Amino acid sequence: MGIVGTSAVLIFLSDRQSHPTKHLAEMPHEDPHPPEPVHRFQKQGFSYENAIKFFFASNAGLTIVILALIIIFLLKEGLGFFPGYQRELEVYRIAGLEFVDISRKNLTAHEQITSVLNRTYYAEINGKCAHQMRRSQEASALFNAYSDLTAPTRDLIVSNSQPDSSPSPEMIASLRTNFEKQKSKALATLPPTPHLTPEERQALIESIRSRAFDATDDPPLVASLTTEFAEAREKQVKPLEALRTTIDTFESAGSELSSLVSELTESVTATKEKIQDADILEKDRKTLLAAASSAEDPIEREKLVSEAQASLAQKPDIEGPIRILMERRPACIAAHQSLKNAAATVSSQLPNTLTQPEASRLLKVAHNLWPLFLADLEKTPQKITDWNHLKPVALSTAISSFITGKDWVTGGEWQDFYGILPLAAGSLMISIVALTLAIPSGIGAAIYVNQFASKREQSLIKPVIEFIQAIPSVVLGFIGILIFGTILRDLSLMDSLSWIPGFPIEERLNIFTAGCLLALMSIPTIFSLAEDAINNVPSAYAEAAEALGASRVQTTFRVIIPAAFSGILAAVLLGFGRVIGETMVVLLVAGNRIKIPDFTSGLGTFFQPCHTLTGIIAQELGEVPLGSVHYRALFIVGILLFAVVLIINATAHRFVNRMKQ
Amino acid sequence: MFNPETLIRKGLPKGHFKDVAARSFLGGITYLVVAIAVLLFVKIIIDGAPVLFKPEAPFVDLDFLTSKNETLHVFDDAQGNRHQLPAAAYSQYISQHGSATLFNEQTYSYSGGGIAGPIAGTALLTIGSMILALFFGVSAAIYLSEYAKQSPFIHAIRLAILNLAGIPSIVFGLFGFSVFVLAVPVITSTPSDRSLLTIPLLIGNYFLSFQGWNSSLMAGCATLACMILPVIITASEESLRAVPQGFRDASLAMGATRWQTIRKCVLPFSLPGILTSSLLAITRVAGETAPIMFTAAVAAKDDLPWQGLKSPFDILSSQVQALPYHIYTLAARIPSSEFTQRAQYGSVFVFLLLVAFLSLGSMILRAKLRSKLKW
Repeated sequence: MGIVGTSAVLIFLSDRQSHPTKHLAEMPHEDPHPPEPVHRFQKQGFSYENAIKFFFASNAGLTIVILALIIIFLLKEGLGFFPGYQRELEVYRIAGLEFVDISRKNLTAHEQITSVLNRTYYAEINGKCAHQMRRSQEASALFNAYSDLTAPTRDLIVSNSQPDSSPSPEMIASLRTNFEKQKSKALATLPPTPHLTPEERQALIESIRSRAFDATDDPPLVASLTTEFAEAREKQVKPLEALRTTIDTFESAGSELSSLVSELTESVTATKEKIQDADILEKDRKTLLAAASSAEDPIEREKLVSEAQASLAQKPDIEGPIRILMERRPACIAAHQSLKNAAATVSSQLPNTLTQPEASRLLKVAHNLWPLFLADLEKTPQKITDWNHLKPVALSTAISSFITGKDWVTGGEWQDFYGILPLAAGSLMISIVALTLAIPSGIGAAIYVNQFASKREQSLIKPVIEFIQAIPSVVLGFIGILIFGTILRDLSLMDSLSWIPGFPIEERLNIFTAGCLLALMSIPTIFSLAEDAINNVPSAYAEAAEALGASRVQTTFRVIIPAAFSGILAAVLLGFGRVIGETMVVLLVAGNRIKIPDFTSGLGTFFQPCHTLTGIIAQELGEVPLGSVHYRALFIVGILLFAVVLIINATAHRFVNRMKQ
Repeated sequence: MFNPETLIRKGLPKGHFKDVAARSFLGGITYLVVAIAVLLFVKIIIDGAPVLFKPEAPFVDLDFLTSKNETLHVFDDAQGNRHQLPAAAYSQYISQHGSATLFNEQTYSYSGGGIAGPIAGTALLTIGSMILALFFGVSAAIYLSEYAKQSPFIHAIRLAILNLAGIPSIVFGLFGFSVFVLAVPVITSTPSDRSLLTIPLLIGNYFLSFQGWNSSLMAGCATLACMILPVIITASEESLRAVPQGFRDASLAMGATRWQTIRKCVLPFSLPGILTSSLLAITRVAGETAPIMFTAAVAAKDDLPWQGLKSPFDILSSQVQALPYHIYTLAARIPSSEFTQRAQYGSVFVFLLLVAFLSLGSMILRAKLRSKLKW
């Protein structure tokens, strides 16, 4: 309350001149009655009335104090992040982890391309025998649904029927009845099989029903469909042999580099641990020395100092391991060289198109990745030669690697990275989806309610939309996780919708699910502010337009909307601010995968899971040790959010003010 | 609608179809939003209502509201009957029948019993934070509407209110965590290591230590109060300003002081408005999860907030369960199955019912107020 008091006192002093009692005390001399004796406190301004005013003013000043406290404490906890991260990056370099990561990065790219190529290969094969695959999959899915439900009881019966166990007969009987119950229940809720003929389905269900209790083989139809599928695939493998060999060649080309990397990884991790241990000892020593300097008792001080001396860490030997690392340089370069040669040959051997659309798309992705991969490999030997473990890490490096870092990796054994990009990308993608849905519907509803709806319609629509605003975000998240996500996944499995990019979706919880729910959440904000803006357009505008013979639609879209435009823009911006700051919905529904979405899949990108700025704070703050670099990183994310939202709001209010003028 | 003569001569006016198209398009969008919202409510009501209501008299099943949250045990007995028992009833069953006759046992955390703990916690958090926010908020609004004149200070306050209103709730969570949980002063005899500043007091062996209140009801209330403060100030100021200037002038002319005027002639007339809008603020406070995640809430607690305390004041420094956090736990931490749905949909239904009740109340009161108070 100290600061409140000070600021309030200032105000109190500045406002005092205008106060009535003060005027009374300074009444001009021509007053016929002598002034009443004024109380000493009153003379100085400390009247009862002024005290009350002071009290209210200090309460109003509390808002400034809270805002100041928010800024101060976010900065206090957050700013220590950059020096801490700088030290972590320094250790990363000194220990040689950075050196290994140069090669490791190429290895990851190699793995990624290999996996795309493999997916291409299987997409081609499976695409050619899609019919057999679906039939086989549906039959197995049906059988699995049945066995999943009945397996626990079945296993219990089997384990109880072993010769060495001696169960009571009534128990076995009860288990049996239970099994039958579950069996009939499972048979009643089997998944649909659109690619099997009704007779086949019936036969399959019959075979399951009449199945021996302890049978372990598949039902005949499942088995025959599996063989059919395998045979169909076998036929397709022949013409694609060349592609298979090419992929295999490429895959094995990375093995040399891979073994080299795993060998180096071990040695540098050991070095890093040594350095970290030394850091901890050094910190302890400093604490001891600080305690010693503040200790009053000389004996105590002597003891602490000697303890500090004893714990003086031996500087860990860095040069030795680094020398070994340097000796491996030529091997590293050679491995890269051979990988590059292999990659160049393979890229020329790859076909340009394939018969299946999905396979062709993936092949195109691979072709697009290739030049980047080759360029990286080209630069690598130079990077390896230039790398120097003693090059200092500047503070600006820590800052820039936070802002432009593509990885947010925490709690790993290798190295923690705090790069904001994956989180920012997730937040942005979700906002794009949410706003694309919410802007048309929010503004459209506002125009409709204000311009076209009858009084009765208004009194129906407005409360419903207001009530959406009152739904707590955690409830919306719950709806998303349990209802909407499931509906979306079921929809995406339908054949008739498979033309939509990204369908069938891999994850139930993804950017799109979160975006839809956030759209629902921001519609009320956009709606009510936009409606206000439209309402505030002077009625003379509309009257003038109508007098000139404009129709209702013309008046609305050519006169009223342009006049209310800046207000509507403010509504959209405030809606955006709400979306980007929302926590619980994205934490529950966005899927929480910390990775920059893979933009190669076009519009399907929107069906990938992601993580967000707000979500990461909510998820990780509870688990981090106080004062660690990770803890401070979360506060920096908070500062970033705070700044973004403030800027958005300030812009929005500028628009509102322009509208008022 | 159209003049028949014109219709015969010219046909329908050209703009007409465009008109109808635009109108129906916008109407379609609007009713789509309304329909989606209504569908969501209906879905939750269908799934959640059976938890709270039952077909025979007295129609309401209060068990879910009044019993504590427990782990749910699902198992078969020797006759093949399925049992679903919360932890306490389960251990009773075990002691009666022995554990040898149980098969297929599965446990579901947080899914048994009721939600008395979360409801009590949310009620305490809401009451605490609303008391704080109303006290400071209404006072600030009185200053802004009754005393303030154009000055840099007022400008700064308005800017602060505007900015506070836009801050994301998770940032309030960070703020509450770093200030109320870790930094505010407490009087204690054993200051903690992470205390920012320790000042020895002259009385006894006590210190004023800036070490925070830990995760507690108190810290949660303070955080929520800070978050809701701008809303309360704005709404209260609006209600205060709605009282006609003439009331104040008349009172001042009669020789009343400023404070007497406010107390007798302004506050009584604006109080209904203030309380109505604070009902809406309650729905927001009760529904927020992010600010209390690190400052007050705990996923599982055996006792109700007021049980097992040494002194009544300990309630302020203990963690509580909260309904929104409970729903988060139910949605995020346990896989959904037929046995968890009762707890999940039931909690959400109760919560939504509460919110609907409050916002409906606020809407009705506001309508009543508008028709009643017309100066």
